[in-house]
Amino acid sequence: MGKVIVVTSGKGGVGKTTSTANLGTALALLGKTVVVVDADVGLRNLDIVMGLESRIVYTSMDVIDKQCELSKALVKDRRVDGLTLLAASQKNNKDDIQPEQMKAICDKLRSEHDFVLIDSPAGIERGFSNASAGADEAIVVTTPDVSAIRDADRIIGLLQHAGIEPINLVLNRFSPELVGNGSMMDQEDVLDILNIDLIGIVPEDTGVITSTNRGIPLVYEDASPGSQAYMRIARRLTGQRIPIPDLEHKGLLTNIVNWFRNR
Amino acid sequence: MNISLRQLFGRKPKSSSIAKQRLKLVITQDRLDVDDRFMTRLHHELAEVLAKYFEFSVNSVSMSLKQEGNSYVLVADIPYKKFHDGNARQ
Repeated sequence: MGKVIVVTSGKGGVGKTTSTANLGTALALLGKTVVVVDADVGLRNLDIVMGLESRIVYTSMDVIDKQCELSKALVKDRRVDGLTLLAASQKNNKDDIQPEQMKAICDKLRSEHDFVLIDSPAGIERGFSNASAGADEAIVVTTPDVSAIRDADRIIGLLQHAGIEPINLVLNRFSPELVGNGSMMDQEDVLDILNIDLIGIVPEDTGVITSTNRGIPLVYEDASPGSQAYMRIARRLTGQRIPIPDLEHKGLLTNIVNWFRNR
Repeated sequence: MNISLRQLFGRKPKSSSIAKQRLKLVITQDRLDVDDRFMTRLHHELAEVLAKYFEFSVNSVSMSLKQEGNSYVLVADIPYKKFHDGNARQ
Protein backbone atom coordinates (compact mmCIF):
# COMPACT_ATOMS: atom_id res chain seq x y z
CA MET A 1 0.00 0.00 0.00
CA GLY A 2 1.52 3.29 -1.09
CA LYS A 3 1.17 6.90 -0.02
CA VAL A 4 -0.76 9.63 -1.78
CA ILE A 5 0.94 13.00 -1.35
CA VAL A 6 -0.53 16.24 -2.63
CA VAL A 7 2.02 18.88 -3.65
CA THR A 8 0.45 22.27 -3.15
CA SER A 9 1.16 25.93 -2.28
CA GLY A 10 -1.75 28.30 -2.60
CA LYS A 11 0.23 30.81 -4.65
CA GLY A 12 1.16 30.04 -8.22
CA GLY A 13 4.69 30.09 -9.59
CA VAL A 14 6.52 28.88 -6.50
CA GLY A 15 7.59 25.55 -8.01
CA LYS A 16 4.84 22.98 -7.39
CA THR A 17 5.10 21.39 -10.82
CA THR A 18 8.90 21.45 -10.86
CA SER A 19 8.93 19.91 -7.37
CA THR A 20 6.40 17.22 -8.32
CA ALA A 21 8.38 16.30 -11.47
CA ASN A 22 11.70 16.17 -9.63
CA LEU A 23 10.48 14.36 -6.53
CA GLY A 24 8.58 11.82 -8.64
CA THR A 25 11.66 11.16 -10.78
CA ALA A 26 13.94 11.10 -7.72
CA LEU A 27 11.75 8.52 -5.95
CA ALA A 28 11.78 6.34 -9.09
CA LEU A 29 15.59 6.69 -9.26
CA LEU A 30 15.63 5.37 -5.68
CA GLY A 31 13.80 2.27 -6.92
CA LYS A 32 10.24 3.16 -5.90
CA THR A 33 7.17 2.77 -8.07
CA VAL A 34 5.71 6.21 -8.61
CA VAL A 35 2.84 7.83 -10.44
CA VAL A 36 2.71 11.61 -10.79
CA VAL A 37 -0.79 13.01 -11.31
CA ASP A 38 -1.50 16.38 -12.87
CA ALA A 39 -4.55 17.78 -11.09
CA ASP A 40 -4.46 21.11 -12.92
CA VAL A 41 -7.37 20.41 -15.28
CA GLY A 42 -7.47 22.97 -18.11
CA LEU A 43 -3.97 24.30 -17.40
CA ARG A 44 -1.87 21.17 -17.46
CA ASN A 45 1.91 21.46 -17.37
CA LEU A 46 3.37 18.48 -15.58
CA ASP A 47 3.58 16.63 -18.93
CA ILE A 48 5.69 19.35 -20.58
CA VAL A 49 7.92 19.93 -17.55
CA MET A 50 8.67 16.18 -17.53
CA GLY A 51 9.17 16.06 -21.30
CA LEU A 52 6.28 13.65 -21.84
CA GLU A 53 3.93 16.03 -23.67
CA SER A 54 4.10 14.21 -27.00
CA ARG A 55 3.06 10.90 -25.50
CA ILE A 56 -0.24 11.77 -23.81
CA VAL A 57 -3.15 9.80 -25.25
CA TYR A 58 -5.61 9.62 -22.37
CA THR A 59 -6.21 11.80 -19.34
CA SER A 60 -7.84 11.45 -15.91
CA MET A 61 -11.03 12.85 -17.52
CA ASP A 62 -11.13 9.88 -19.92
CA VAL A 63 -10.78 7.53 -16.94
CA ILE A 64 -13.63 9.27 -15.11
CA ASP A 65 -15.78 9.20 -18.27
CA LYS A 66 -14.96 5.48 -18.59
CA GLN A 67 -13.37 6.03 -21.99
CA CYS A 68 -10.36 4.00 -20.92
CA GLU A 69 -8.96 1.93 -18.07
CA LEU A 70 -6.84 3.74 -15.49
CA SER A 71 -3.80 1.57 -16.22
CA LYS A 72 -4.05 2.45 -19.92
CA ALA A 73 -4.04 6.20 -19.18
CA LEU A 74 -0.71 6.03 -17.33
CA VAL A 75 2.16 7.20 -19.54
CA LYS A 76 5.37 5.35 -18.82
CA ASP A 77 8.52 7.45 -18.47
CA ARG A 78 11.08 5.43 -20.47
CA ARG A 79 14.14 7.04 -18.82
CA VAL A 80 13.65 5.39 -15.45
CA ASP A 81 11.90 2.25 -14.23
CA GLY A 82 8.72 2.56 -12.23
CA LEU A 83 7.67 6.11 -13.13
CA THR A 84 4.37 6.95 -14.83
CA LEU A 85 2.30 10.08 -15.41
CA LEU A 86 -1.46 10.57 -15.33
CA ALA A 87 -2.15 13.73 -17.32
CA ALA A 88 -4.96 16.23 -16.83
CA SER A 89 -7.42 17.06 -19.55
CA GLN A 90 -6.63 20.34 -21.29
CA LYS A 91 -10.10 20.90 -22.79
CA ASN A 92 -12.10 20.55 -19.59
CA ASN A 93 -12.17 22.71 -16.50
CA LYS A 94 -11.82 22.02 -12.79
CA ASP A 95 -15.58 21.80 -12.16
CA ASP A 96 -15.88 18.84 -14.54
CA ILE A 97 -14.29 16.60 -11.90
CA GLN A 98 -15.73 15.83 -8.45
CA PRO A 99 -13.52 15.34 -5.38
CA GLU A 100 -14.95 11.80 -4.94
CA GLN A 101 -13.87 10.89 -8.47
CA MET A 102 -10.31 12.04 -7.77
CA LYS A 103 -10.38 10.12 -4.51
CA ALA A 104 -11.42 6.95 -6.35
CA ILE A 105 -8.49 7.36 -8.76
CA CYS A 106 -6.05 7.94 -5.86
CA ASP A 107 -7.32 4.88 -3.99
CA LYS A 108 -6.76 2.69 -7.03
CA LEU A 109 -3.28 4.13 -7.70
CA ARG A 110 -2.28 3.81 -4.04
CA SER A 111 -2.83 0.05 -4.12
CA GLU A 112 -0.46 -0.36 -7.06
CA HIS A 113 2.37 2.12 -6.37
CA ASP A 114 4.72 3.11 -3.57
CA PHE A 115 4.09 6.83 -4.12
CA VAL A 116 1.34 8.84 -5.79
CA LEU A 117 2.29 12.53 -6.12
CA ILE A 118 -0.52 14.93 -6.99
CA ASP A 119 0.43 18.24 -8.59
CA SER A 120 -2.20 20.65 -7.29
CA PRO A 121 -3.26 23.79 -9.15
CA ALA A 122 -2.75 27.18 -7.48
CA GLY A 123 -5.65 28.61 -5.52
CA ILE A 124 -7.94 27.38 -2.76
CA GLU A 125 -10.98 26.55 -4.87
CA ARG A 126 -12.29 23.42 -6.57
CA GLY A 127 -8.95 22.51 -8.17
CA PHE A 128 -7.34 22.37 -4.74
CA SER A 129 -10.19 20.34 -3.21
CA ASN A 130 -9.97 17.87 -6.10
CA ALA A 131 -6.20 17.58 -5.77
CA SER A 132 -6.30 17.02 -2.01
CA ALA A 133 -9.43 14.82 -1.89
CA GLY A 134 -7.57 11.52 -2.01
CA ALA A 135 -4.35 12.60 -0.28
CA ASP A 136 -2.89 11.01 2.85
CA GLU A 137 -0.11 13.56 3.25
CA ALA A 138 0.85 16.95 1.87
CA ILE A 139 3.94 18.77 0.73
CA VAL A 140 3.54 22.55 0.82
CA VAL A 141 5.97 24.37 -1.45
CA THR A 142 6.80 27.97 -0.68
CA THR A 143 9.44 30.54 -1.56
CA PRO A 144 10.82 32.85 1.17
CA ASP A 145 8.70 35.86 0.22
CA VAL A 146 5.73 37.42 1.99
CA SER A 147 2.99 36.57 -0.52
CA ALA A 148 3.98 32.92 -0.96
CA ILE A 149 4.25 32.40 2.82
CA ARG A 150 0.94 34.07 3.55
CA ASP A 151 -0.78 31.85 0.96
CA ALA A 152 1.05 28.77 2.27
CA ASP A 153 -0.35 29.49 5.73
CA ARG A 154 -3.87 29.60 4.32
CA ILE A 155 -3.35 26.28 2.51
CA ILE A 156 -1.88 24.68 5.65
CA GLY A 157 -5.04 25.69 7.54
CA LEU A 158 -7.23 24.06 4.89
CA LEU A 159 -5.13 20.88 4.83
CA GLN A 160 -5.26 20.62 8.64
CA HIS A 161 -9.02 21.12 8.52
CA ALA A 162 -9.24 18.26 6.01
CA GLY A 163 -7.29 16.03 8.41
CA ILE A 164 -4.30 15.60 6.09
CA GLU A 165 -1.18 14.71 8.10
CA PRO A 166 1.78 15.11 8.05
CA ILE A 167 2.15 18.38 6.17
CA ASN A 168 5.77 18.95 5.21
CA LEU A 169 7.32 22.14 3.92
CA VAL A 170 9.66 22.53 0.95
CA LEU A 171 11.39 25.90 0.99
CA ASN A 172 12.11 26.59 -2.66
CA ARG A 173 14.29 29.15 -4.48
CA PHE A 174 16.32 29.82 -1.37
CA SER A 175 19.21 32.18 -2.00
CA PRO A 176 22.12 31.71 0.41
CA GLU A 177 23.59 35.07 -0.64
CA LEU A 178 20.39 37.03 0.02
CA VAL A 179 19.85 35.29 3.35
CA GLY A 180 23.45 36.00 4.25
CA ASN A 181 23.08 39.74 3.75
CA GLY A 182 19.69 39.99 5.46
CA SER A 183 17.57 40.48 2.34
CA MET A 184 15.75 37.16 2.53
CA MET A 185 14.10 35.30 5.41
CA ASP A 186 15.94 32.14 6.41
CA GLN A 187 14.42 28.76 7.25
CA GLU A 188 14.05 29.61 10.93
CA ASP A 189 12.05 32.74 10.13
CA VAL A 190 9.76 30.80 7.78
CA LEU A 191 9.26 27.89 10.20
CA ASP A 192 8.58 30.29 13.05
CA ILE A 193 5.69 31.71 11.03
CA LEU A 194 4.31 28.53 9.46
CA ASN A 195 4.78 26.09 12.33
CA ILE A 196 5.08 22.87 10.28
CA ASP A 197 7.94 20.44 9.64
CA LEU A 198 10.58 21.28 7.06
CA ILE A 199 11.40 18.42 4.68
CA GLY A 200 13.94 20.28 2.57
CA ILE A 201 15.41 23.48 1.22
CA VAL A 202 15.94 23.83 -2.52
CA PRO A 203 18.45 26.53 -3.41
CA GLU A 204 17.83 28.85 -6.33
CA ASP A 205 19.31 27.00 -9.29
CA THR A 206 19.36 28.29 -12.88
CA GLY A 207 19.61 24.65 -13.92
CA VAL A 208 15.84 24.45 -13.32
CA ILE A 209 15.25 26.76 -16.30
CA THR A 210 17.40 24.78 -18.71
CA SER A 211 16.10 21.44 -17.49
CA THR A 212 12.53 22.64 -17.99
CA ASN A 213 13.45 23.90 -21.47
CA ARG A 214 14.68 20.44 -22.33
CA GLY A 215 11.98 18.47 -20.53
CA ILE A 216 14.56 16.59 -18.49
CA PRO A 217 14.01 16.86 -14.72
CA LEU A 218 16.97 18.32 -12.85
CA VAL A 219 17.51 15.18 -10.75
CA TYR A 220 19.03 13.39 -13.76
CA GLU A 221 21.96 15.79 -13.39
CA ASP A 222 23.80 14.72 -10.27
CA ALA A 223 25.99 17.74 -9.71
CA SER A 224 23.52 20.61 -9.54
CA PRO A 225 22.59 21.95 -6.08
CA GLY A 226 18.87 21.80 -6.93
CA SER A 227 19.17 18.18 -8.00
CA GLN A 228 20.96 17.22 -4.80
CA ALA A 229 18.33 19.00 -2.73
CA TYR A 230 15.47 17.13 -4.44
CA MET A 231 17.30 13.80 -4.06
CA ARG A 232 17.67 14.46 -0.32
CA ILE A 233 13.96 15.28 0.00
CA ALA A 234 13.06 12.08 -1.88
CA ARG A 235 15.23 10.06 0.51
CA ARG A 236 13.50 11.68 3.46
CA LEU A 237 10.13 10.76 1.92
CA THR A 238 11.24 7.13 1.87
CA GLY A 239 11.93 7.37 5.60
CA GLN A 240 15.70 7.91 5.56
CA ARG A 241 16.99 10.35 8.14
CA ILE A 242 19.13 12.90 6.37
CA PRO A 243 19.97 16.18 8.07
CA ILE A 244 19.04 19.41 6.33
CA PRO A 245 22.31 21.15 5.44
CA ASP A 246 22.81 24.79 6.39
CA LEU A 247 22.88 26.60 3.06
CA GLU A 248 23.26 30.11 4.36
CA HIS A 249 26.33 32.02 3.20
CA LYS A 250 28.11 33.13 6.32
CA GLY A 251 30.64 35.89 6.58
CA LEU A 252 34.34 35.07 6.40
CA LEU A 253 34.83 35.28 10.16
CA THR A 254 31.93 32.89 10.93
CA ASN A 255 33.31 30.45 8.37
CA ILE A 256 36.74 30.53 9.97
CA VAL A 257 35.26 30.01 13.44
CA ASN A 258 33.10 27.10 12.17
CA TRP A 259 36.08 25.55 10.43
CA PHE A 260 37.97 25.42 13.72
CA ARG A 261 34.90 24.21 15.62
CA ASN A 262 34.24 21.36 13.21
CA ARG A 263 37.74 19.97 13.38
CA MET B 1 25.40 36.32 10.28
CA ASN B 2 26.83 38.92 8.01
CA ILE B 3 26.51 42.29 9.61
CA SER B 4 27.34 45.27 7.45
CA LEU B 5 28.60 48.51 8.95
CA ARG B 6 25.30 50.20 8.24
CA GLN B 7 23.42 47.58 10.23
CA LEU B 8 25.98 47.76 13.00
CA PHE B 9 25.26 51.45 13.45
CA GLY B 10 21.53 50.86 13.43
CA ARG B 11 20.70 52.94 10.37
CA LYS B 12 18.41 50.49 8.63
CA PRO B 13 16.79 47.25 9.83
CA LYS B 14 17.27 44.22 7.60
CA SER B 15 14.42 43.84 5.12
CA SER B 16 14.08 40.16 6.06
CA SER B 17 13.18 41.08 9.64
CA ILE B 18 10.64 43.61 8.40
CA ALA B 19 9.13 40.90 6.19
CA LYS B 20 8.90 38.51 9.10
CA GLN B 21 7.34 41.08 11.40
CA ARG B 22 4.73 42.09 8.80
CA LEU B 23 3.92 38.49 7.97
CA LYS B 24 3.44 37.48 11.58
CA LEU B 25 0.91 40.23 12.10
CA VAL B 26 -1.04 39.63 8.91
CA ILE B 27 -1.07 35.85 9.33
CA THR B 28 -2.34 36.13 12.89
CA GLN B 29 -5.16 38.32 11.61
CA ASP B 30 -5.82 35.87 8.74
CA ARG B 31 -5.99 32.94 11.14
CA LEU B 32 -8.30 34.67 13.58
CA ASP B 33 -10.34 36.11 10.75
CA VAL B 34 -10.17 39.65 12.13
CA ASP B 35 -9.68 42.69 9.91
CA ASP B 36 -8.53 46.28 10.40
CA ARG B 37 -12.09 47.49 10.98
CA PHE B 38 -12.49 45.06 13.85
CA MET B 39 -9.19 46.18 15.38
CA THR B 40 -10.12 49.87 15.04
CA ARG B 41 -13.49 49.29 16.71
CA LEU B 42 -11.86 47.33 19.51
CA HIS B 43 -9.28 50.09 19.91
CA HIS B 44 -11.97 52.77 20.28
CA GLU B 45 -14.26 50.85 22.60
CA LEU B 46 -11.40 49.74 24.81
CA ALA B 47 -10.15 53.35 25.01
CA GLU B 48 -13.64 54.50 26.00
CA VAL B 49 -13.76 52.08 28.92
CA LEU B 50 -10.20 52.73 30.04
CA ALA B 51 -10.73 56.50 29.97
CA LYS B 52 -13.00 56.04 33.00
CA TYR B 53 -10.06 54.81 35.03
CA PHE B 54 -7.04 56.76 33.92
CA GLU B 55 -5.89 59.58 31.75
CA PHE B 56 -4.13 58.88 28.49
CA SER B 57 -3.95 60.06 24.93
CA VAL B 58 -6.00 57.88 22.57
CA ASN B 59 -3.41 58.30 19.84
CA SER B 60 -0.65 56.87 21.97
CA VAL B 61 -2.44 53.51 22.37
CA SER B 62 -0.99 50.73 20.24
CA MET B 63 -2.66 47.36 19.93
CA SER B 64 -1.64 44.20 18.19
CA LEU B 65 -2.34 40.51 18.06
CA LYS B 66 0.56 38.17 18.61
CA GLN B 67 0.98 34.46 18.42
CA GLU B 68 2.69 32.77 21.33
CA GLY B 69 3.06 29.06 20.73
CA ASN B 70 -0.39 27.76 19.99
CA SER B 71 -2.35 30.65 21.46
CA TYR B 72 -2.97 34.25 20.53
CA VAL B 73 -2.35 37.25 22.73
CA LEU B 74 -3.84 40.70 22.41
CA VAL B 75 -1.16 43.18 23.39
CA ALA B 76 -2.26 46.72 24.20
CA ASP B 77 0.39 49.30 25.00
CA ILE B 78 -1.16 52.29 26.78
CA PRO B 79 1.17 54.95 28.17
CA TYR B 80 -0.98 56.60 30.85
CA LYS B 81 -0.54 60.02 32.39
CA LYS B 82 -2.26 59.42 35.71
CA PHE B 83 -5.01 57.45 37.37
CA HIS B 84 -8.22 59.27 38.17
CA ASP B 85 -8.58 59.99 41.88
CA GLY B 86 -10.93 57.80 43.83
CA ASN B 87 -13.42 55.63 41.97
CA ALA B 88 -13.83 55.39 38.28
CA ARG B 89 -15.62 58.27 36.60
CA GLN B 90 -19.23 57.40 35.94
